[in-house]
Amino acid sequence: MDLDWNDDQRAILDALRVLLDQHAGQERAAELARDDAYDTALHAALADAGYLEISLADDAGLLEAAMLVDAVAGAAGSVSIGASALIAPALVGAVPPDPVALARAGERGPVRFGAHAAQVLVDDGDEARLVELGDRRGEPVETNYALPMGRLPDPLPAGRSLGAGSSARLRRLWRLALAAECHGAMRAAMDLTARYVSERRQFGRAIGSFQAIQHRFAECEVRVQGGRWLMLEAAHQGAPAGAVELAAGYATRTALQVFNELHQFTGAMGFTREHPLHTWTLRLQLLRLELGGPGMHYRQAARVRWGRAARGGTR
Amino acid sequence: MDFDWSDDDLAFRAELRAFVAANLPEDWAKISSEGPGGADLVAFSQGFCEKLAERGWLTQHWPAEFGGRDASAWRHQILGEEMWGNAEPRGPRYMTVNWVGPSIMHFGTEEQKALHLPRIARGDVVWCQGFSEPGAGSDLAALRTSAIRDGDDYVVNGSKIWTSYVNHADYCYLVARTDPDSRGRQGISAILLPMDLPGIELREIPGLLGKKYFHEVFLRDVRVPIACRLGPEHDGWGVVTYTLAYERVGAAHYDRAARVLDAIAAEAGRKGLLESDAILERLGEARAAIEVARLLTYRVIDLREKQSPPTPDTNLARVAGTWAVRMTGDLLLEVFGAEGLVYGSEADAYFRLSQWAGVASGTTEIQLNLIAGHQLRLPRE
Ligand SMILES: Cc1cc2nc3c(=O)[nH]c(=O)nc-3n(C[C@H](O)[C@H](O)[C@H](O)COP(=O)(O)OP(=O)(O)OC[C@H]3O[C@@H](n4cnc5c(N)ncnc54)[C@H](O)[C@@H]3O)c2cc1C
Repeated sequence: MDLDWNDDQRAILDALRVLLDQHAGQERAAELARDDAYDTALHAALADAGYLEISLADDAGLLEAAMLVDAVAGAAGSVSIGASALIAPALVGAVPPDPVALARAGERGPVRFGAHAAQVLVDDGDEARLVELGDRRGEPVETNYALPMGRLPDPLPAGRSLGAGSSARLRRLWRLALAAECHGAMRAAMDLTARYVSERRQFGRAIGSFQAIQHRFAECEVRVQGGRWLMLEAAHQGAPAGAVELAAGYATRTALQVFNELHQFTGAMGFTREHPLHTWTLRLQLLRLELGGPGMHYRQAARVRWGRAARGGTR
Repeated sequence: MDFDWSDDDLAFRAELRAFVAANLPEDWAKISSEGPGGADLVAFSQGFCEKLAERGWLTQHWPAEFGGRDASAWRHQILGEEMWGNAEPRGPRYMTVNWVGPSIMHFGTEEQKALHLPRIARGDVVWCQGFSEPGAGSDLAALRTSAIRDGDDYVVNGSKIWTSYVNHADYCYLVARTDPDSRGRQGISAILLPMDLPGIELREIPGLLGKKYFHEVFLRDVRVPIACRLGPEHDGWGVVTYTLAYERVGAAHYDRAARVLDAIAAEAGRKGLLESDAILERLGEARAAIEVARLLTYRVIDLREKQSPPTPDTNLARVAGTWAVRMTGDLLLEVFGAEGLVYGSEADAYFRLSQWAGVASGTTEIQLNLIAGHQLRLPRE
């Protein structure tokens, strides 16, 4: 047991922060969001520096990948970091060069990066499939939720099967990546808002000194920190069934609470484009819906733990 | 970063589990149904702790010079999980090894260490904590019990309340005002008070948690030698905060909650309730809350093992622990239904004894205040 980063992990994080300071961040995110763009430059920078392959290195794995996903989300990166750096390498053993979308067979709604992806990882119940879109790309949809979204071609090409049972692994990795992305975004939003409520004054005092705000803020802090440990432990253990569902359930349920609370604490200002909060909070609304949302994650966690007694759905 | 137990730790846990299984009597559920302070459990805990001590497990995390084995804080946490997870067969003695002993090691004189530590390490002494007073709950620094110097003694007057285990205690870890003109955190001292001194009287306060659970302690002209003071005179607030940091995550409530949740799921299965999405979801959510409490506690243990001074992680772990226990208790009654209301049934024992989680050893609101101030660094008024 050792719950601090080791020297190698710290070195990776330090170097990564330098890259993210240069290529990502709030201003860059705002610029991209204006026309629902994908951050091709950031994607290339992460790929060139080898970060997308981090989980394939001899001395690293899913924990380092989760750390990366968390950090990129914290820097408001508008790239398919979870799918490209965590899910695809673990599932197919290689890093796809272009953006990757995630989809579930039978669901037609818009998905993250649906108009930018060259490849799609599809959860098909039992077998996961890797679909090359070629020149049949998805259609963009206009969205308010920070990351570009699009509708994938319908029907999707069949693609290549990743083997019997691979969908379960895809969902586990997807849930881990979701938890990491939620954490990165929530941490950044919390830090920003802690500063805001310390500065904004009403009734002659900082609004952050009102206990009604302090307690709710502190409750969010317990959940954000607690969820971080769930996510990191699940990553360290290799994304086992049970742990990842708990991590995703806790992260996405916290995501809604953090969204609601932080927007309450920042008043009208928090609903403007000029105030940076939305850069991190809007994407939480999108993330919390994936794979059925917190209720589905939690039910699946219960089925994994109390399996025989609790047969039912498989997702 | 590494979440794996060492092979030695795993082996220790396995050995400990076998020991517990072999040493808990058949009627353990009944013995433990009044909590760690129930008369049957207090009596049982003596022999049980002696056996733990014989194996060197009771105070293994203490330094060898005080009867320990220099084991890691992790080892002691494993012990704590297996004990609290099994309704705490150490009875009230968990307090003595968790925080009374460490506080005496840190602040005690050589005589105090020689007197108290071997007895605690053998497991044959019960302590209670005399902090709260009728007028001093969350605001502990408002305490008024006085201990005034008179020759070689302090003369203690006042009253303490909610003092768990006091009806069984050999000693009381008391805080009192030694400077009569002081207020707030100044002028307080800690005193290791023998409970057999004249002038100490107990009154039971009938309560909802069980039989003989709550007591008030009246102290009238109790003469206690000045040599019983722990740490600096008038400057005992540091002793108090040191103690509280050890106390707040001392009991592994999450481990018991995890086992109770398994029992809830089994009962739900018997009743066909696992077909219900609503129940499944709540089971999953409660399990997540328990795991969060476990991991936040592990962070505290990790920092303790690294000799870091206490951080707000302790407060995070306490709040998360309370949420986990409350969520488990609420679901327990729903799944067990009216059977869970029968006094002394297993469901009743857990529910009844878990409802104070957000109050004892510092309320949830106080933890949230501390998180807001020390972790989030939000401004004061
Ligand atoms: C089962 C049990 C065992 C106990 N055992 C012991 C023991 O062995 N020894 C001992 O000394 N004490 C013991 N206690 C007492 C315990 O430490 C106190 O109950 C606790 O500190 C709270 O004090 P109080 O009950 O007076 O509540 P109060 O302080 O009156 O609080 C009532 C409510 O007001 C809130 N409140 C108070 N101050 C603030 C604030 N600043 N901001 C926001 N909200 C606030 C509290 O959070 C709480 O919700 C025990 C209590 C219980 C329930």
